[in-house]
Amino acid sequence: MSDVFEKCRTWKDYRIAKATGLYPYFRAIEASHGATEVEIEGRRVIMVGSNNYLGLSADPRVKEAAIKATEKFGTTCSGSRLLNGTLALHEELEARLAKFLNREAAIVISTGFQTNLALASILGRHDIVFSDRQNHASLVDGIRLSFATERKFRHNDMEHLEQLLSAADPDAGKIIVTDGVFSMEGDICNLPRIVELAAQYNARVMTDDAHAMGVLGELGRGTSEYFGLEKETDLVMGTFSKSFASLGGVLAGPFEVINYIRHKARSVIFSASMTPASIAAALKATEIIEAEPQRRARLLDIAEKMHNGFRAMGFDTGVSVTPVVPVHIGDQVKCFRFWRALHEAGVFANPVIPPAVEPGHALIRTSYMATHTDAQLDQVLDTFEKIGRRLGVIPETRPTVYEPVKIARPGSMVRGNRASDTWAAGSAGQLADRGFSLDQLSRMSSREMAGKLFDAVEQLTWRAANLQPEDLRKLGEAPMKLWEKRGELGGLLLEKGAHLFLRNGADAGADGNQAERN
Amino acid sequence: MALPAEQDAASPALPPMPVDVQISPVRSAADRMAFIRFPYSVYRNDPNWVPPLEMERKDFLDPKKNPFLEYADVELFLARRGNQVMGRIAAIKNPHHMEYHGTKEGFFGLFECVNDAGVARALLDTAANWLRERGLDSMLGPANFSSNQDWGLLVEGHETPPAIMMPYNPPYYAALLEACGCAKAKDLWAWELSSAAEPPEKVVRIAEKIRQRDGITVRAIRMSDFAAEVSRVKAIYNAAWEKNWGFIPMTEKEFDHLAKDMKTVVRPELVLIAEVKGEPVAFSMTLPDANEALKAAGGRLTQFGLPIGLVKLLLASRKIRRLRLITLGIKEGYRRRGLDAILYLDTLRTAKQLGYTGGEISWTLEDNTLVNRAIESMGGRRSKTYRVFQRSL
Repeated sequence: MSDVFEKCRTWKDYRIAKATGLYPYFRAIEASHGATEVEIEGRRVIMVGSNNYLGLSADPRVKEAAIKATEKFGTTCSGSRLLNGTLALHEELEARLAKFLNREAAIVISTGFQTNLALASILGRHDIVFSDRQNHASLVDGIRLSFATERKFRHNDMEHLEQLLSAADPDAGKIIVTDGVFSMEGDICNLPRIVELAAQYNARVMTDDAHAMGVLGELGRGTSEYFGLEKETDLVMGTFSKSFASLGGVLAGPFEVINYIRHKARSVIFSASMTPASIAAALKATEIIEAEPQRRARLLDIAEKMHNGFRAMGFDTGVSVTPVVPVHIGDQVKCFRFWRALHEAGVFANPVIPPAVEPGHALIRTSYMATHTDAQLDQVLDTFEKIGRRLGVIPETRPTVYEPVKIARPGSMVRGNRASDTWAAGSAGQLADRGFSLDQLSRMSSREMAGKLFDAVEQLTWRAANLQPEDLRKLGEAPMKLWEKRGELGGLLLEKGAHLFLRNGADAGADGNQAERN
Repeated sequence: MALPAEQDAASPALPPMPVDVQISPVRSAADRMAFIRFPYSVYRNDPNWVPPLEMERKDFLDPKKNPFLEYADVELFLARRGNQVMGRIAAIKNPHHMEYHGTKEGFFGLFECVNDAGVARALLDTAANWLRERGLDSMLGPANFSSNQDWGLLVEGHETPPAIMMPYNPPYYAALLEACGCAKAKDLWAWELSSAAEPPEKVVRIAEKIRQRDGITVRAIRMSDFAAEVSRVKAIYNAAWEKNWGFIPMTEKEFDHLAKDMKTVVRPELVLIAEVKGEPVAFSMTLPDANEALKAAGGRLTQFGLPIGLVKLLLASRKIRRLRLITLGIKEGYRRRGLDAILYLDTLRTAKQLGYTGGEISWTLEDNTLVNRAIESMGGRRSKTYRVFQRSL
C-alpha cells in the first residue's frame, strides 16, 4: 500500500544540501537597513537579490501611507473583493493604475501569482494559448488551470511561434502570452514581432510586466510603452512586489475583459483582497514612479555599471539588457559554493539552478535598486572578482577586451545582448552533460546509486593503475596546493565527488587540484 | 536520419531501410556509456571475444585523452530500436590521411551491429552521409580509428581469440558490410609462429653471416632511457612505413601516447633495436599477448567496488604464454639486406628463453610479398585474414 507522504520521506535534495552546508533558501532576514542592506544571522550583507528595483519599500512616504491606511482601515479586509473586501482604496488604486497604464480598466488582485491565475477565467475550451517556454510559473499555472490548449514556443523564437500559429486552427481563439522582461535571464520579449504575428493570425497579446513595470519605458509603463506598442498589446499584467514596494498584482486592459475577470476569476473572488496597507503602499509608489523618473534613470545606470563591471572581469552576464544581472556559473554545485562564498563575504545574491534554468547553466542572479550606493556596488563587484578567481569561474587576469552591455534605455529598443556560445548552449540545454543536479541524485534508485558508486571506484582504480611518474610528482605537490585551498576543500570535494559519482567522472581526474582550474 | 531518394533507386540491391530504427549521434555521457557497453550484447556467447577495459575505451573516446582526436573529426552514432541499442558506428575524417595520400577518403570504425542488414545499412549510410557532408568521396574501414591503431574486419580465423591490439568480430559482419555496398580494398594477414619449431638452418646461417659482415648489433630497448629510445624508434617508424598502403605518419603526441600504453605490457627483452656502427637502423617490437590476461578481467578492474578484475588481470598476466610481433621496421637503405631475418631470429630465440610458446606476427599487407615471404621462410603459417573495406560515397 502506498502512502502519499512517502515521497516526502524519501526526498533527498534538502537533506543533501543541508548536510553539505550548501542550502541557500529561506534565509531569514532579521533587519533591513534601507532595503539595500539587510541583517542575516546578525551580519549585515548587501542585498543584490531583491526585486525592489526602485528601492521604494524603504521610502518614508510609502511607509507612511501604509501606516496611515492601517490606522484608518485596520490590518485586513477579512474577505473577498466580491463581497465585503472592497475598499474605496482598492477602487482608487484601480482607477489610478488604469490611467497610469493608459488602459480602459484595471483590476488589482491580492498577489502577482494570483493575477496570472486569473487569466484562466478568460481562456475557454476552444482557445489556444501560445506561451514562451521561459514564462513565469504563475503564467504556466494560469494556463494549466484553464481548459484551453497550450502551445509553447522556444524562448523568444519568433519562427517557432509563427510555425505554431500557422499550424493552429484558424477559427480558434488565440492569445500570445509572454513575460515582458524574463525574470532569470533579463532579456526582453520580441514584442514588435509578436504584435505583427498577432495581427496576422488574429491573436490577442498579453505581457507579464512584473519585472518591466516601473523599469522600462520613458514613463515606466513597461514593455509595451518601451516598444511604443501599447495599443497593440491587449492585456498588461504587473506586480506590486517589485517596483511598487508592496504585495499584489494588476491586470489592465479593455473594460469588458477586466469586468469579466472581476466576476469570474476564482483567484479574485475566492481570495481575500489586498490589505489596506498594501494598497496604500502601491498607490503611493505609483505616484512616486510617475513623479520621479530619475529613479529609473539611476537604476539603468547601475545596471550598465554592473553588467560592464562583471564583463570586464571575464564573467558572462548573457543576454540581459535590464537590472536583472545573471552571472553564468555553469555547474550546480559550483553555483552553490559561489553563493555561499558571496554570503560569507557579505553579499546577498540568489543561486538559480535547474529546473529554473537548464542543467549546466546554473546562475547567480543579481538585481539592483535605484537606491544602491556606488560604494555598495563596488564592493559587490570586488567580492565577485575575488570569488570568481578563487573558484575558477573567471581567469586570474582580466581579459583585455570585453563586449560592453547594451541597456534597455527608453528609445533604445534593444531586446537582448548577443549571447556568448556558452550562454546560448546553456540556454538551449546543451550543457546538460556538463552539469549535475541534485535532482538526478534524488531520482536514483539505490540500485542505480550502487552502480554509480561502483563505476566511480572503477574509474579511480583505472586512474591509479595508470599513474605516471609525472602524475606522482604532481601528487607530491598536492599537500601544498591543498593547504592553499584549505578553505575551499569541502566544497571542492563535493563538487568533484558529485561529478565523479554522477557522470562517472567524464572530466574529473584523480588529481582534484588540477581539475579546479578548468 | 533521412536519405536522399535517388540513392535507393540507384542501388536496388541494398537492404531496405528499417523504419523503426533511430540513428542518433552520441551526445550525452549516458550515450557514450551505451556506445561503450553495446558490444557486451553482441558477444555475450562468444568465447573468443576479449572485452576491452571499459575505462580504456572511455579514455579512447575522450578528446582530452586521445591525441588522435586532437586533429581528426570523429562522430559516434548509435542505432536504437525503441530503447534497445542495435548497433554503433564511428565516422572519421582524418585530415592527416587525406593530406598524406592526397585523397578524399574518410573512415568508418568501431562498427558493431546485430545481425540485421537493415540496421547495418542505417549505420553505414549515416556515417557515409556524415562524411559526404564533409566533402569526402569514399570511406574505408572498419578503422578504430586509423591504421596506426587496429583496423580491418576479421574475415578468416574466428576459431581463436584475437591477439593484443587486433580486432575481433562475429563472422556475419563481412556479409553485413558487403550487403551495404562495401567491397574489399585490401586484406591484412596475421601469421602464426610456434617457438617450438627450429627456424630453418639455412636462414640462420645466412643471417649470422650478414650480422658478421655488416657489423650489426641487436640490443634490447633500454627502459632506463625510455624517452630517448622512443624517439629513436619513432624516427625509424615514420621512415620505414612511408610508402605502405594505408600508412599515416603518427604525430609526436600519438606516438608518445602509444609508447606510454605499451610500456605497461612491454617485455623490454622483446623490443629489439638493430644498430649499424651505433646508428639505429631497424627495430622490432614484440609484446606479450595481454589479451590473455585482459579476457580474465572481463572489461572491468573492479566488481562491486572490489578490485576483482584487477587481481584476475594481474594473476593472468603472469601466465601469458603467447606473443605478438607487432611491428618490424627498417630504414630505407638498409632493406633487402637480411636485417629482418636477424630481428625475427633474435626475437624467436629470446621468446624461447623466456618460455613463450609462440605467437602471432601481424599484420602484413597481402601484397607485401617481401615481408610475407620472409615470414613464411621462418616457418610462419597464415592464421587470420582481416579485410579493409571501401565504399564510395
